[in-house]
Amino acid sequence: MFLRRHAPFDALSADVVSALARKIEVRYFPRETMIIDAGKENHALGIVRSGAVELRLGGTELNHRLGEGGVFGYPSLLHHERTRNQVIAHEDSLIYQLPKPDFLALLDSHEMLRGFFAKDEAERLRLAVEGLRRSEAGHGEAAMIAVKLGSLMRRNEVVTASPDDSISDAAKLMARADVSTLPLTDQGRLLGIITDKDLRRRVLGKDVPLDEPVSRVMTQDPITMSLEDDLLSAMLIMSQHNIHHLPIVNDTEKIVGVISSSDLLNRFGMNALQVVAEIEAAGDAAAVARAARRVDAVLAHLIESGVDADHVARFVSNIGEATHRQLLKLGEQQLGPPPVPYALVVFGSLARQEQAGGSDQDNGFILDDGYDEQAHGAYFERLATFLCDGLNSAGYIYCPGDIMATNNKWRQPLEAWKEHYRNWIDRPDPENVLNTTIFFDMRCVAGEEALVESLRKQIFAWSSANSIFLSFIARAAAHTKVPLGFFRNFLLQHDEKEGDVLDLKHQAIAPVVDIARVYALALGLSEVNSQERLKKAAELDELSEEAVLDIVDSFEFIRSVRFRHQSEQIRQGAAPTNNLSPALLSRFEREHLKDAFRVIRDHMDIVGRKYAGNIQ
Amino acid sequence: MKLGWQNWFQEKRFAAQWERAKEAAQSTPMADYYNDLLSTDQHLKDAPLVALDFESDGLEENAQLLEAGWAAVEGCAVKLSSARRLRIRAESKLQGSAVVIHRITDDAAAEGQSEQDVLLALLADFKGTAIIAHAAFIEQSFLNAACLRCFGVPFVGRFICTMRLEDRWFPKDRAADGLRLGKLRAQYGLPYYRAHDGLTDALACAELFLAQCARGQAENLLVEDVLMRA
Repeated sequence: MFLRRHAPFDALSADVVSALARKIEVRYFPRETMIIDAGKENHALGIVRSGAVELRLGGTELNHRLGEGGVFGYPSLLHHERTRNQVIAHEDSLIYQLPKPDFLALLDSHEMLRGFFAKDEAERLRLAVEGLRRSEAGHGEAAMIAVKLGSLMRRNEVVTASPDDSISDAAKLMARADVSTLPLTDQGRLLGIITDKDLRRRVLGKDVPLDEPVSRVMTQDPITMSLEDDLLSAMLIMSQHNIHHLPIVNDTEKIVGVISSSDLLNRFGMNALQVVAEIEAAGDAAAVARAARRVDAVLAHLIESGVDADHVARFVSNIGEATHRQLLKLGEQQLGPPPVPYALVVFGSLARQEQAGGSDQDNGFILDDGYDEQAHGAYFERLATFLCDGLNSAGYIYCPGDIMATNNKWRQPLEAWKEHYRNWIDRPDPENVLNTTIFFDMRCVAGEEALVESLRKQIFAWSSANSIFLSFIARAAAHTKVPLGFFRNFLLQHDEKEGDVLDLKHQAIAPVVDIARVYALALGLSEVNSQERLKKAAELDELSEEAVLDIVDSFEFIRSVRFRHQSEQIRQGAAPTNNLSPALLSRFEREHLKDAFRVIRDHMDIVGRKYAGNIQ
Repeated sequence: MKLGWQNWFQEKRFAAQWERAKEAAQSTPMADYYNDLLSTDQHLKDAPLVALDFESDGLEENAQLLEAGWAAVEGCAVKLSSARRLRIRAESKLQGSAVVIHRITDDAAAEGQSEQDVLLALLADFKGTAIIAHAAFIEQSFLNAACLRCFGVPFVGRFICTMRLEDRWFPKDRAADGLRLGKLRAQYGLPYYRAHDGLTDALACAELFLAQCARGQAENLLVEDVLMRA
């Protein structure tokens, strides 16, 4: 019998399946005819008995095809909503239809079927995200993510020298071979690298004798990538470390070539690397601001090139980070070297490397405990002012909550910082707990990293041991309002009110960040990035691989919607925001946002149950 | 699609046959069947239809019926909830004429039911419908013979023949077996059914009919547009 051969019905007993078969109505749809129209009431689960159907997702060009045994039309039944996808007969098709009441009754009595249909919702979302990437890559340039470094390599023999060669010989070889970068190898193994710039800065600029071995001035153990890595990752590494050459090695760690940032620039023109390089070359705060303000153009360009949301966020964050670093460097040049060691710590989205357009600043100085307010206070106050003013000019507006190094509260010695956190953790204020969570996403962007590390280790040790604090955080996280109903109303009423907006940042992105943070606090994870936190939590078996995949996909989808709208705003000359009028959402976005919200809602509940159990 | 005076003439003749049979059915178990007749000017998509197939030991009119399978077709859908498959107890033809007199009650279920019981179940479901069959004149003659055999009353009913419909709507040169059920189904992209039992064939025929209607714009069709004419 047909049904017994196909999932999920194959898991049912023969008796149940024959009873089920008796509920079915059989219909025939010639090729190209509509089986289910979007936005209508749906009364039945569809099963393809023969032929093939095409799901047109939310009326877009993104199609999903189902063949014999394929099941469709159930999301609207499960959620008692109108249909979101069009279903068209792709071939002449015989369709089995199981009426809604019978379908729901079946789910009620068979738990594993429920699992099948629920899981498939996440699966569909994954498909949608993939489809989105493909379609974005389809127009304009080839998606950078798809371009392997191997395809950019010139195939001629790579010129190398030995670390024992003299600087003079190495320089002559570079001139002869017309290369700006020389990998230094021992029996094919890469030990170091030297560039034009190194010869200038480390040799000529420092009067190093030319007969010294080149190993004295080379960059040891440089970062390498493989031929299989993609262009985007290479750009990311370069922008992160502000390096311009990447040696490429094969499977056996043997060097096969060097790729330079200009190779990438030639290929992709305007991009994040260029902006980072400009920021780092800026001689004053105004020049930094000019370069940094191009982040919007980079964002729009990356989105149009089909780069996924996670990478876009990392590039945008790298630009933000470079802006902070360069301003601080210029500040120190102006004010003289710092009297005691200190670290510039950033919080929130920049710390998580999840920055989008239109971000404000969240930062502070962690000062060495040798700090003396009388002696050193004025210096750091002026440095903070230089930094925060510079950031504001560069488009990172002053923090509305005054979380900035200019605020004396956030310009303190390490011990004072620890005291702040100790208070939050030991005496969590239910009213205030969400306002402090941002401080648990922290990263050092300049200065003494050890200060930030010491603080982080301490507070994560406290927090993971304090179940009361965790339950407050978890409860606050679980209470965020994911706007599930928002779309339903919108969909049914079709009369979006003026001023009715969706706040993607607070209603959709923050919940995922909160979930990841709860796991990070509970497990004492050192990761700051939300995806990395979730993946680490899965490695520690705190949640399943599959759950992580679902959340990450949802996160990616929501962020891609945000970025696409920001890029649209930028193209139209407006400042990017997180607020969206629902009228601006395509049906595709609307429908899949709803899937994503559901996944998030479920996981908020799980987090709530897991960690918020011991308080009311 | 209408054939004008020919249809009118056929309908007149059908009405006369119907009335005669109805008369003969009075105070027999078939009386109820003749209380309800499907009107021909009704939209096809609203009409209650039923697809039928008999399995028999031959094709001549007095062949032994072995099995009946049928399923309702309503609103352009086959309702599997209505699907029936009834085995008919095989008996010699001599005994066959005695079935009316000898009611056999024991282990009937295992071996099938009497022809009469099967006919009664079938007639109850067929009341007020049109019967769809592939080469429907065979089912028509089987039904008529069986009703005469069991109740002494002829069977008159509305029939839709998927074979004739195909030939009428989509006329073309075909191979000798070009109008066979399996061949036609394949042309409509319908799945291949291996099992040959009454119900499978009835469903196969019902699905073919849905496919033909889908091609023939069922939205606007009336019952009279698809009826088999003598």
